[in-house]
Amino acid sequence: MLATTLEARELSKAFAGPPLFTKLSFRAESGFLAVRGRNGSGKTTLLKILASLAHASSGSVSVRRGDAELAGDERRLAVGWAGPDLAFYEDFTAVENLRFFGRAGGRPAGEAAIAQRLDDVGLSGAFDRRVGAFSTGMKQRLKIAFSLLFDPPILLLDEPMIGLDADGRAIVEKAVGAQRRAGLVVLASNDSRDFLEPDQTIELGDRETADVRR
Amino acid sequence: MAASVSSSVSPLPSSGWGPLRRAWAVCAKDAAQELRRRIAAASLFFFAATAVTLVSFAVGPFGLPAEARDRVCSALLWIILFFCAATGLPRAFVREEETGTAYALRKVVSSSLTLAGKTLFNYVLFLAITAVTVPAFAILLEWRMGSAGALVVVMVLGGYGLSVVSTFLAALVAKASQKNVLFVVISFPLLLPLLLSAITATIAAAGGEMASTPIRVIVAYDGAATCAAYLLASAAWED
Repeated sequence: MLATTLEARELSKAFAGPPLFTKLSFRAESGFLAVRGRNGSGKTTLLKILASLAHASSGSVSVRRGDAELAGDERRLAVGWAGPDLAFYEDFTAVENLRFFGRAGGRPAGEAAIAQRLDDVGLSGAFDRRVGAFSTGMKQRLKIAFSLLFDPPILLLDEPMIGLDADGRAIVEKAVGAQRRAGLVVLASNDSRDFLEPDQTIELGDRETADVRR
Repeated sequence: MAASVSSSVSPLPSSGWGPLRRAWAVCAKDAAQELRRRIAAASLFFFAATAVTLVSFAVGPFGLPAEARDRVCSALLWIILFFCAATGLPRAFVREEETGTAYALRKVVSSSLTLAGKTLFNYVLFLAITAVTVPAFAILLEWRMGSAGALVVVMVLGGYGLSVVSTFLAALVAKASQKNVLFVVISFPLLLPLLLSAITATIAAAGGEMASTPIRVIVAYDGAATCAAYLLASAAWED
């Protein structure tokens, strides 16, 4: 039982213009890390950097299991991610999408496991429906299932409640609750209702400022 | 600006599938998508059919002097195949960017395996197009091939290089706004050594010979392109 740690060291990110944040550092091993900030403050960009989906302008992110730093596939699959930019193959069903991503990730899930994943997010009635025919809320639920596909010790959720009804919100809250007990969940949102007593908070504020507190 | 909390989680299970099976999964996914939509295959086939038909009408079986036939036909054939590749093969990566599935793919599989899977799909697609285009071209232009075996070797080896470079460039330009223009402009100088060697080898095949020098050049090009694509895959495909 080795702890998996997410650590950011002096992260800075700038596109054209002033930086979104500079020299942001934090370290987390478990629990619930909330990322707050107004629109355009860099929440989505920060989570993409943590998920290895974008590069920081400077600084670094490391994922460690015990003393060993994870790289490549181990790191890729140790960090689950769902965000507004995540999309699925609309010609495929939800089952086909998860089956493909499991195989491409090198850990093919059995049909029963995929069915369970979809059942967990309330998509049990839509196994054979093409994702292109899904509603916004159904796609959001599929994103949650995708983020949990490899049982990652670190889960990054960017605005996970978008488009969800009350049942959907309850599903995400349940997933977040389970994840914070088993590992680490990092959740970025504009809505204070999404934050369930976080253990740490990163406040991305006006340009170039960021605050990390417990 | 630092804080920490701690606890422990179960270690991740080891990876179940090796790189070849994972690359195959990407290839199979592209094939399944293509079977449902047939966009890349249809655009390739229609382009090839149009080009071959136009060339056959414009040049025709009697429009070329016998001594120039092999040279002109070989050049025309590879020009058609080059633009076929430029028309259909970039879709492998462009589609991922346009539909927003690129992030999901990047999240689970490395750039090099993605590139390998998509190259394999493009290569099979290219060979399928070639298997239809080359006989049609030869029949319509009444172009007699001295050594069909040598031609197959040229097509298999040349098509591989064309597929590797086209797929790599597709990854490179997928996020660009003028991706189609960019693809053709960049691919032309990169593919020129391959195309010139392939044309030379095709001329020899038409004359009934297996030209060893251009074949060696193509093999070397294929090897160099494969290594370069593997090494540069993450730079081309990741943000």
